[in-house]
Amino acid sequence: MDADTTVTLTDPMDYKVEELLKEVHFARAPAITKLVDDTVSAVRKSISKIPDAFPVTADLAPGFVRDIGADKVEFKFNKPKTFKIGGSYSINCVVKPAVNVDLFVGLPKECFHEKDYLNHRYHAKRCLYLCVIKKHLKSSPSFDKVEWSAMQNEARKPVLVVYPAVKSVEAPGFFVRIIPTAASLFNIAKLNLKRNNVRAFNQDGIPRATPKYNSSILEDMFLEDNAEYVEKTISRWKELGEALILLKVWARQRSSIYVHDCLNGYLISILLSYLVSLDKINNSMKALQILRVVLDFIATSKLWNRGLYFPPKGQIGVSKEEKLQYKEAFPVVICDPSAQVNLAFRMTSVGFCELQDEAASTLQCMDKCGDGGFEETFFTKIDFPAKYDYCVRLNLRGHTEVHALGFCLDDECWRLYEQKVHSLLNQGLVDRAKSIRVTWRNSPSEWNIENGLAVLDREPLLVGISVSSLEKLFRIVDIGPNAENKEEALRFRKFWGEKAELRRFKDGTIAESTVWESEQWTRHLILKGIIEYVLLRHLSLSKENVVQIVDQLDFSLLHGAKDLVSFSASLLEAFEVLSKRLHLIEDIPLKISSVQPLDSAFRFTSVFPPEPHPLANERHTVSRLHKLTPSCIQPLEVMIQLEGSGNWPMDHVAIEKTKSAFLIKIGESLQNRWGMTCSATEDDADIFMSGYAFRLKILHERGLSLVKSENGNKAKRVYSTDKILFIRGQHASMINGLQGRYPVFGPVVRVAKRWAASHLFSACLVEEAVELLVAYLFLKPLPFNVPCSRVTGFLRFLRLLAEYDWTFSALVVDINNDFGPEDFKVINDNFMSSRKASEENVQNVNPALFLATAYDKASEAWTTCSPNFTELKRLVAYARSSANLLTKLILEDQTDSCRWECLFRTPLNNYDAVVLLHRDRLPYPRRLLFPSEVNRGRHVARVNASKAFGPFLVPEEMKGSSEEVKNKMMVDFDPLRCFVGDVEKEYSKKLKLWYDSLGGDAIGLTWERVGSKKREREEAPEEETDSIGVLKAVGELGKGFVRDIYFLKAPRLMS
Amino acid sequence: MGSAEKKQRKKKPNFKKRKNSQLSETDENLITVKEDNEQNKPSGKKKIKREKGNSFDVSDVQDNSNKAAKEKKRNKSKKKLRREEKSNATPIDEVGEHGAEDGDDADNSNENLVAGASQVKKEIENPGRPVGKSKKARKKKKKDRGSLMKDEELEENTRDADEDDVYMISSGDEDCSKGMKKWVTEYHQSRPGLKVFQQRIDEFITAHEAKLEQERKEREARAAEGGWTVVVHHKGRKKTTDAESGIAVGSVAQAAVEDKMAKKKKKDVGLDFYRFQRREAKRNEIMLLQSKFEQDRKRIQQLRAARKFKPY
Repeated sequence: MDADTTVTLTDPMDYKVEELLKEVHFARAPAITKLVDDTVSAVRKSISKIPDAFPVTADLAPGFVRDIGADKVEFKFNKPKTFKIGGSYSINCVVKPAVNVDLFVGLPKECFHEKDYLNHRYHAKRCLYLCVIKKHLKSSPSFDKVEWSAMQNEARKPVLVVYPAVKSVEAPGFFVRIIPTAASLFNIAKLNLKRNNVRAFNQDGIPRATPKYNSSILEDMFLEDNAEYVEKTISRWKELGEALILLKVWARQRSSIYVHDCLNGYLISILLSYLVSLDKINNSMKALQILRVVLDFIATSKLWNRGLYFPPKGQIGVSKEEKLQYKEAFPVVICDPSAQVNLAFRMTSVGFCELQDEAASTLQCMDKCGDGGFEETFFTKIDFPAKYDYCVRLNLRGHTEVHALGFCLDDECWRLYEQKVHSLLNQGLVDRAKSIRVTWRNSPSEWNIENGLAVLDREPLLVGISVSSLEKLFRIVDIGPNAENKEEALRFRKFWGEKAELRRFKDGTIAESTVWESEQWTRHLILKGIIEYVLLRHLSLSKENVVQIVDQLDFSLLHGAKDLVSFSASLLEAFEVLSKRLHLIEDIPLKISSVQPLDSAFRFTSVFPPEPHPLANERHTVSRLHKLTPSCIQPLEVMIQLEGSGNWPMDHVAIEKTKSAFLIKIGESLQNRWGMTCSATEDDADIFMSGYAFRLKILHERGLSLVKSENGNKAKRVYSTDKILFIRGQHASMINGLQGRYPVFGPVVRVAKRWAASHLFSACLVEEAVELLVAYLFLKPLPFNVPCSRVTGFLRFLRLLAEYDWTFSALVVDINNDFGPEDFKVINDNFMSSRKASEENVQNVNPALFLATAYDKASEAWTTCSPNFTELKRLVAYARSSANLLTKLILEDQTDSCRWECLFRTPLNNYDAVVLLHRDRLPYPRRLLFPSEVNRGRHVARVNASKAFGPFLVPEEMKGSSEEVKNKMMVDFDPLRCFVGDVEKEYSKKLKLWYDSLGGDAIGLTWERVGSKKREREEAPEEETDSIGVLKAVGELGKGFVRDIYFLKAPRLMS
Repeated sequence: MGSAEKKQRKKKPNFKKRKNSQLSETDENLITVKEDNEQNKPSGKKKIKREKGNSFDVSDVQDNSNKAAKEKKRNKSKKKLRREEKSNATPIDEVGEHGAEDGDDADNSNENLVAGASQVKKEIENPGRPVGKSKKARKKKKKDRGSLMKDEELEENTRDADEDDVYMISSGDEDCSKGMKKWVTEYHQSRPGLKVFQQRIDEFITAHEAKLEQERKEREARAAEGGWTVVVHHKGRKKTTDAESGIAVGSVAQAAVEDKMAKKKKKDVGLDFYRFQRREAKRNEIMLLQSKFEQDRKRIQQLRAARKFKPY
């Protein structure tokens, strides 16, 4: 039985792997082979035309020769000894989209002297040799362009990139890399790790060993041999090649490990060959199993500690002493099959840790995530912006400090600078950071090698920081060494400068420390402050060259100059008092048994929690009102429950009336006892207290079952008021719990809500749905860690929205992690039935966004009606575009107008018509992010502003008795909602409204599809005038509030 | 669109009179367009052609002698437009423009929303052209779309000129039938004070109770008419559910009942009691797995169609 199960269950996985391989594998089709062969032979032909004994001097690339500090570089050109196709093409493992072929060009011995391994002479000649080749290739018509690139970002080892003139559809962007090799050019003993071969690299005249420099030459010497070895191994059986491809796909999705100081395709193939040679992989394994073995080896093997050495064949293996030497010289050792060179000589210990982490987390995904972690392993992009909580960009263009000591000695100056920045941050952030990654790419696309290496600082240096824990992140005082420990204390003072303070702590110790004062709502900026302080203090950088990402989105949450979330403490306090007072009420028939907050402001997820209103106080006298007293107040819903009783009426209307009666009684009681004002409408009762308006709602438990029995399953989707209240209560308490566990959850939700609203999706995606989507990111963070900054969280939210497979999967938000297989089955069944119902018509998928939670396993609570199929499509497109922009903003410097605010500025020309509102008639004008204007289309109507309403109380209104003035304050008055309601009542069949309920001044209109096929084309103009008429009527409906109406596109008929 | 053109041309005579300061921005263009139309009037053939094809080339219908001058003018205004666009250009904006143009130009029946969305998608799938990046690239794009722009502008302007200029609507403060004044009034009307509500509710409850009383009486009367009532045997337990609505009455909470029900052990014979049951269960499970596999397969095909297997 069990065997049966596994066989059938693993099959889909194999199928998926197969499909993936088909998609990414750049197979050798005849057309491709021809293209490759043609290009390579064209290269050979061009090179063979170069006359022998052609004298080469430093003049070909004077800048390069100067910068790497080489002397005696003249030689006479000789034709290459060998041409050989190497790299992934030779083993048929090219992975799209990087379609290229490596061409090894064997440098002839005649061009080099015996001692050319000294002082970068080899590197200089290697480069000049390529210069000659480049000159000749450029003059050939078979090549489109010839560019410079660098081998693994090592600037002193440039390679040529040749694009053939013949373009192929099957291989877009195909190019050939010309890589020089140096087989047996030098005596290997001279390149021993202990030797110094760069004379300038010394300490007080004593030469220091140059292991990296030596390895750099050795790598070229054994390039061909190793490639051959790999080819022999990988071609032994098919699955090895497939596994290599999978590994490459895996690594490429992870930009923190697929870089110069960590992994590359070549190293992966070496690693794979190594494991084959150790017999860790056998030929009965499938590609995916091999991948698992490799990842497991990377993540857990003890062999890394002593270095990886291929088992010796015949001769004597690497001696213990040599191994020790390797270990001393390099953090990671992967010796090549000939045991002469450490192929991982570029790998840093930080890079390797990152690699191990990624491998471990991928294994975790495979075990824990659905579908065997297929999606997470191969499809989720784990780049810097999404992976690290804090990203910092250093602009070091023209920063001469970087190469003050010379460009290349043993290591290159850029790598040394990376290490310097890393160690500074490591020291400055102490245990706040779990990991810090510093990488700096130095290969600009249009690099003129002739001009030297100074231009390689053009791209910004990128720092990614993973936060260890939020308590540590938000810590205000860092305690340094004890004052008695003089040496340490001095070092601490030297590092921190004036920031270091001597402090006495509660336990009596006196220690050096640093203090990072910060308000509650700006605590995420503590880390930013530290980073800035440390970098500016120790690197001669100016402030604008340290670009920090973490606070770039904060502007979207500001109200005036501050974040309203700073009032949350006072709000919660007021709620506590209210709750106490409600429990104390004696003079109503049933006692209040529970009080529960419903509004998102109570759980820190409201974009704009209310700020205390001067008129909403218990005091009867109206104190001095400042000039800009808002005329509106936003009520906060609170749910209460009464003790049980059998005397409730039976029918729905009577229940609601009884509730109102209770509310009025409660209001009166509070008014009499505490002097709290109460205002009521037919449905609601608002209590004013401490500057806030609380709207009370009664949940009557029996109302829940009432509807079920009345409607049966016919009107499944129509929820009773009690059911809605119940669900909202469940949701509120769940989200509140989550916010307690993850303090960053709140800010991420707020940014996400702001984003959705500012792109006019307020009607499509309700607040609660956004909260659940973000909750999912925190509950199922794999393959990442739980996000610890708002920017990272927001980016992942956008990517989730853009990439999740909404059509075929339900999103299960398991907040308390208590779903069993039974629950998942129920959810899946619900999902399947909802999809089956709409099988014929994809447009009618309902709900398009299936969000299942513990309290709502059929996704009926928040997304039944909206977003619908088309709305979701739009939402996804916007999310994708915003995610890409955000990624770009984090990674690159922006020179044009595309900046952070563009994430929240919505293009108005995506609508058929646009309604602009009077900005000074919005209830909360300070929430407006950008004033909207329309420059296209036809101006249909202009409406005057009403004098009946303004966002702030005018002086005349503030006079009179306190009672009168208090009545001027409008609770929950929202002209936008009124307007939208009126328009939808009238034109819901013709128009669809897109608006921003958080306070935008623009409403987008789209024509609903007109289904009649009878209409002929000629009627289109009538249609147009008709729609103009509709727009005018819309303007009439919004008199005094609407400012302008623009017509952009006429409705389209369905054909 | 073609016939719309025709109409506009017919209306031309009144056109001159309707010049509004509101449209000052596009005035220049308006005049140009008008002249174009005048010149084009005699060429009836071309009109038909235009009606057929959705997009028409401006230069095609223009008088050659005037061409250069007008081009200049148009370019000038185009520049203005471009500048404005740039000032609030966003990545999506850029994308949206594509969508909009696609829609206008091709006049296909695609809903523009979808067009916009797919356009965005295209933009993203094309990594070679970063969203709204360099000025150069943008310029080039603009050039590519040059002819489209011209068409569009012309069309827009003629449309502007077509009907009465901007329709002015009053603030609505004088009457309360529509708009802001109405909403404010409604707001205040909805809050007459606690006392009023108390009274209304009292009235309702009284009426409601009277109604219930009435119903009860009627029922009793009906029973009395027959002279006898059916006596129903209640099992020993006290009744906890209401006969009419079927809901729990009195002190038994629904949650408690459900809890109790859940705790009750199932008494039926285990499904794997007989050998044939086990065999059947096994077969069912295999069938289930097979169908799941098929489902997976189907889904993968759908994913493949949606290019979901591309990890880059």
